[in-house]
Amino acid sequence: MRNLIQFLRKFRDFLIFFILQVIVLTLFFNSKNYHRARMANTSSAFIGWFVEKKHNITKHFGLEEANEALLEENARLRALLPESYYHLQGDLFYVNDTLKKQQFQYIPATVIDAKYTKRNNYFTLNQGSNQGVEKGMGVISSQGVIGIVTDVSKHFAIVMTVLSDKIRVNVKLKKNNEYWLLNWDGIDNEYGQIQEVKRDIPLEIGDEVVTRGGATKFPEGIPVGNIAEIVKKEGEQTISLRIKLAVNYNAVYNVYIVKNLMQQEQLKLESRIEEDE
Amino acid sequence: MNNTWIKYGVYFVLIVLIQGLVVDNIQINEYLNPMIYPIMIMMLPFELGVTVTMLVAVILGLSVDMFSNTFGLNASAALVIGYLRPGILNLIKPRDGYDTVLLPTIHDMGKLWFLTYASILLFIHHLWFFVIEILRFDQFFHIVLKALFSIVFSLALIILFQYIFYKPSKK
Repeated sequence: MRNLIQFLRKFRDFLIFFILQVIVLTLFFNSKNYHRARMANTSSAFIGWFVEKKHNITKHFGLEEANEALLEENARLRALLPESYYHLQGDLFYVNDTLKKQQFQYIPATVIDAKYTKRNNYFTLNQGSNQGVEKGMGVISSQGVIGIVTDVSKHFAIVMTVLSDKIRVNVKLKKNNEYWLLNWDGIDNEYGQIQEVKRDIPLEIGDEVVTRGGATKFPEGIPVGNIAEIVKKEGEQTISLRIKLAVNYNAVYNVYIVKNLMQQEQLKLESRIEEDE
Repeated sequence: MNNTWIKYGVYFVLIVLIQGLVVDNIQINEYLNPMIYPIMIMMLPFELGVTVTMLVAVILGLSVDMFSNTFGLNASAALVIGYLRPGILNLIKPRDGYDTVLLPTIHDMGKLWFLTYASILLFIHHLWFFVIEILRFDQFFHIVLKALFSIVFSLALIILFQYIFYKPSKK
């Protein structure tokens, strides 16, 4: 009888353990899925307050690198200004352009918390819905693609970076527009992977890979990385690529959140196609 | 009794903040992912029941998760050691049992006992954590390596924490 009571007690403990474990694991696997993620995290006002205080102390350590990155970008953009061009036919630059309409706007933001050595790495930004940030927007830096906004509060936003297992970035080869999906295997935060590449495409080490555009999150042609290794396995129809990522995720201080002004229009149109099918 | 609960409450907040704001940001490379918060579960009184331990573990884990944006992962790993702790304490019991006046600290129980105790709990915790986090069987070697390196780092932090914040209990 005593044995039975002891057994029942042990069984009850195990049952509590099992139920709690199922609950927390469900929470975890849901939190990785960025379509459904709606969790207490660093974007909440309470935790965000602490994270921002921490950032206020630690931000000075990276100031030099942050400034250098900004200077570099300014120099590059300055080269694109009309003043930097020699006017072959002066008037041409002042024609009001009716062929092009602005599609992307950028919201500048500072990274106040960054993880880059975990399996799923998130950044916390100091801009939120008050500044017009929305879930699902793309995030880029001057170096290249950072990730996708998965959660926003009034003053903060969470970005799931390319260094996550659920994210797939639409990329293409710059030289011939061949397109693939980039993912990350979780081992080295300097290299991403591309699988199922057809064998007959002429590839070289060092070829540039950029965003494909067209999937509403990123503009076309944002750097993603360069081909570092071409992995061929005997007996497989396709090859895989190892991509040296353009962004050094250890040192990202300032980013831009991409606001696509035509996103609603595109999504509406695309959803209509699905309904028809 | 009341005093004890306040003391544990203060430790809880302190440990969560240290983990969330300091230790989580020690990011040397992919193989070092130190965690200090298991010390909260280790330091609970010897005689505390398994149900209460599990509840403390889940709340602790979820608090840490809020800082690291992995909602549920730390809670899951903490829950495992919360559930197994009484069994492990029983396994490494000194010959004449535990003195309930004492706490499972390095000061009260000695270096060897504490190292054994902390290593077992940390090993289970870290291995579970990385298996759930990565969840790929083709990277099993990577997971084990990551766990082993991190355990050494975590253990050093936990021992340091003990020397800073704990004093020997008065008999």
